[in-house]
Amino acid sequence: MHNKYLGTASVCVFLTLILAPLWLAFDRLVWVAGFDIFSWINSLDENYISQGVLEFTVLQALLSSLVTLAIGIPVAWQLGRYEWPFQSLIRSILTMPFVMPSIVAAMGFMHIVGNEGLNIRTNANTWFATLIIAHAWFNISLVIRFCEPVLSTLDPKMEEQMRLLPAGKSKLGRLRNLWLPLMIPSIAAAACMTFVFSFTSFALVRWITLGENTLESMMAGVGSSAGISGYMVSKNEVILGSSLIQFTILLFSLWLMSWLQMKRQTLLPTTSETVAKSKNVLGWSVILPAICFAILPLLTIMIASFRINEVDASGSNQYWSLAGWEYAFSTTNSLPSAWDALQNSVGYALITLLIALPLGYILAQTIRDLEKERPKLARVVDLLTMLPFAVSSVMIGLGVMLGMIRIDAEFFYSIWFTPILAHVMITTPFVVRIILPALRSLEPKYEECARTLGLTNIQRFFIIEIPLLRGSILVAAIFIMAMSMGEFGASWVITRNSDWTTLPIIIDSIRSIPYNNPLTTPAANAVSTVLMLIALVLFVSTEKFRPTRDGGMF
Amino acid sequence: MKSALVSIFIFSMMVSGCISESIEEKLSNGNMISPDDYVWEDDGELVIVTYDVTGLTDELLSEFENQSGYKVNLMKLEDAGSILSHLLQHKNVQIADIALGLDNTYLQTAIENQVLWEHFANISGLYENVLGPYSGPLATPFDHGYICLNYDTQIVDGENLTVPTNLWELTEDEWKGKIAIPSPETSSPGRAFMTATIDYFANDGDNQTDWRDWWTSISQNDAIITTGWSEAYETHYTGGYGEYTEGYVGDAHIVVSYCHSPGVEAWYSGNWTKSAALDLPRASFHQIEYVSAVEGGNLGAASAFIEYLLSEDVNQKMPTENFMYSVLDGSDLPEDDGYRYHSTIPSQVAEITPEEISANMEMWLEEWNKAMVAV
Amino acid sequence: MFSCVGLSKSFDKTLFDDFNLELEPGEIVAITGPSGCGKTTLLRCISGLENLDKGEILFSGHNITNLPAEERKIGLIFQKPVLYPHLNVGKNLKLASKNADISVALDEVNLSGFEKRSVHTLSGGEGQRVALARALLAEPSVLLLDEPFSSLDEELSKKLVIDVRNLLKKRNCPAILVTHNNIIAKDFADIIISLN
Repeated sequence: MHNKYLGTASVCVFLTLILAPLWLAFDRLVWVAGFDIFSWINSLDENYISQGVLEFTVLQALLSSLVTLAIGIPVAWQLGRYEWPFQSLIRSILTMPFVMPSIVAAMGFMHIVGNEGLNIRTNANTWFATLIIAHAWFNISLVIRFCEPVLSTLDPKMEEQMRLLPAGKSKLGRLRNLWLPLMIPSIAAAACMTFVFSFTSFALVRWITLGENTLESMMAGVGSSAGISGYMVSKNEVILGSSLIQFTILLFSLWLMSWLQMKRQTLLPTTSETVAKSKNVLGWSVILPAICFAILPLLTIMIASFRINEVDASGSNQYWSLAGWEYAFSTTNSLPSAWDALQNSVGYALITLLIALPLGYILAQTIRDLEKERPKLARVVDLLTMLPFAVSSVMIGLGVMLGMIRIDAEFFYSIWFTPILAHVMITTPFVVRIILPALRSLEPKYEECARTLGLTNIQRFFIIEIPLLRGSILVAAIFIMAMSMGEFGASWVITRNSDWTTLPIIIDSIRSIPYNNPLTTPAANAVSTVLMLIALVLFVSTEKFRPTRDGGMF
Repeated sequence: MKSALVSIFIFSMMVSGCISESIEEKLSNGNMISPDDYVWEDDGELVIVTYDVTGLTDELLSEFENQSGYKVNLMKLEDAGSILSHLLQHKNVQIADIALGLDNTYLQTAIENQVLWEHFANISGLYENVLGPYSGPLATPFDHGYICLNYDTQIVDGENLTVPTNLWELTEDEWKGKIAIPSPETSSPGRAFMTATIDYFANDGDNQTDWRDWWTSISQNDAIITTGWSEAYETHYTGGYGEYTEGYVGDAHIVVSYCHSPGVEAWYSGNWTKSAALDLPRASFHQIEYVSAVEGGNLGAASAFIEYLLSEDVNQKMPTENFMYSVLDGSDLPEDDGYRYHSTIPSQVAEITPEEISANMEMWLEEWNKAMVAV
Repeated sequence: MFSCVGLSKSFDKTLFDDFNLELEPGEIVAITGPSGCGKTTLLRCISGLENLDKGEILFSGHNITNLPAEERKIGLIFQKPVLYPHLNVGKNLKLASKNADISVALDEVNLSGFEKRSVHTLSGGEGQRVALARALLAEPSVLLLDEPFSSLDEELSKKLVIDVRNLLKKRNCPAILVTHNNIIAKDFADIIISLN
């Protein structure tokens, strides 16, 4: 709907929603720690808990990106250059891990390396490799999603022409002079995104590593004692220092990302003619293991949820049982039942949808309208809506938590809706990123013609615009649901009221119960299975509605 | 549009400015309030802020609900440190009625910051020893135990590794990367053990080095410092039940735990354990865990719960439900399956007064931090 | 009576300056000129999709210059037919008038029985006929046509030119056609104005 006031209002709501909690949190931390950027940064080295964390975070993120490329590029090549039976099914399976909640992946990989799986965790050096591979598992879909379109739509004449030129006589020559220049922006964009996601990894780091932290998981840990005057002051400095460094690095990566994305768009062929491709039997040796890799952690969780492993000094006793499911879905433990958590998760996801979708849509519309009249202001608003991407979910969680304390903690703790604030902060930017390209690709003639036919503003919106953008709107809606249901970092920080417990939080809580209760692992896996199946249903729905060439990042 | 953005920014600055002033005011104007001035409201609900205290079984809570008519709501945090932080962050804000699990290394800070209220539960028959650090009405002990090092007797057998006779031996090469200690910054057993080392090294007859030097050496000897007790004991320690859990690594043969942890192991596994407590004089700490009414909370419900928790029927179950000693006079660990036989009462615990703890804890933690990062 | 008085518009260069036109009911005018001379912009300004720098548009004595496009009751046929892909032919027509008899409107443009057809299945000529039927259903005070015949082959466009002219005359609906093709202009219009 093109309405100036609505646009201004939406920008204001967004800014208040996003900036107010962060500003309040920042203000509170500075109130405790004092304003001294140098000592914030320095505190990272002076505290045992944060020492070496930045180095570890960068190292693992770089390695994760490299490994993701090493596994992803051959898969994308095979998928893009050759013809496969059930092509879209294979692509769906390989890109599915991306929408899986990270806590589900953490449970899956813990079981794979645990004593009922490969049993390699007892070798203390394996966790690092496990972490990297788990990050690769998540992000291979990015490589496929970014590189495959370039590979699969390239006119075969280009390669045929190259063969006839001296520079392209050999395979290596064609790689160097044709494929690499075409692919590098896409590869780099995928690597860049993988870096960002691995850099802010929390659930996987929390469960897989042995005490090692990313900036994100470390902040979550020390965050619980933040914002108290004169108490644990150095921890407030650590949070300020880490947030600042993380924000800067993420902002730079996102800038790089959008630059690469632009380069990439210019290299994408404009028409998507179907290119005749050959079959490649040998390629199965790449595709089949990749499919197994994508499915394995999820299959593992499902099986493990029915598997009880009672071991003690007198020997081990393993059997199949529903007891884990019963334990998770009953109130017989002192945690809320998984049933309550499921209701909360669904409730939060639906309400987040009701807020984030219209808000994100109007923001995208406002940017689109401004692009025509005031391009500079449009760019500013566009950048503002991207800003939250540089704020990780733990930072958002800390912002909401400290913001609540600053305004009226009693009120915020007493209402069930509070966590939705964090969910809206996290999902709205994604809505803008999905809707904006769709709005840009919408023919202005459709709108103009409707005006000459006498259709009013509201009629045009509901009869013309919404139906034409149906695909992108549905993708955005499902994306909001999936992100909200799987949200872990912010929820982990703010959930202090058992009425707020969501599925990812209860998985973490059940697995954290100390003492050897043989039911805790299967129960955590049972809840993970539920969450995984929900994510799977949502993913299948997006694949169905995704516009064929939306040019978007997600 | 631009002007709207600017006005929003200014507005938010103003709001935040006003609020931070009001907080400072509230925090600085706190004179000790006497129980006569308490204002509270009975909303029929009891919110317990705690960490994973396993003793709070569902049966126990629902029995209390049936008996008292209050509805119980649990707020589970990561560790004892988070309970204190939570209380401090929400001073003057009614968010909980009971704090369960602050121990004698945390309690003084909570008392000084006036986040606790005097309850009116009728308590009697407590073991005299547990009232030593604090016997006032702001907190009541509900369980206790002794923190000390545990070792795996199958590996620390005199052949592969020798049983240490003093803490310095742990800084030697053979122990490199084989000791798991929960961090004093986040875990109450970790904090208790750090406190013990202060007394231990102050009395070891060596004036050249103190506890800080030992922690620097232990850090350089790649000791595994974990966030909480369960990570140290379950994931890293080879002598306990951890090896039966998923995620087990088993790279530490000595761990900071309780002197009665081997008893718990034996009780679980039919009078068998390979874990033993290491009884070094002054290297153990008598830890007492408290239950307190939270300032501004439902004092009636809190008092009822404290009375219930300290009643004989409930508190005598502590060893089997919560794996800690009961605080009732004359109670002891059960004899079954070698629970008491494999538990150790340390010969001499660290002698640190509550006053010393309350005066120095913040500083000790900072020095510990410095010692750990010193190279 | 529909009149344009002193219309002016310039972007980087002057597109048209002091353009005047008066249309009697049922009168058909063609404006010719080379491509890029501002013909399309002129139509967009008259229809209200773009704003004029100067000038007034009057209909039956009312000044409609400042009305938004959707309230001017001026129809516009685009170079390529704009048909909504998510609606079938019948529903596309319903956009212009909810209660009109769709089958009669389709009969008028020789597309009887096309109600349920998907717009993807229409040829270029058929699409333009649907767009015309839809524009007329909105009962415009004047119909603007922006090179609607240019994307069709010669034979088809000749036939369509005659059909559209007859239809407009039958309805007594004034119209302005812009085109670069003088033959089409001659066949279609009563008066020809050359821009520039």
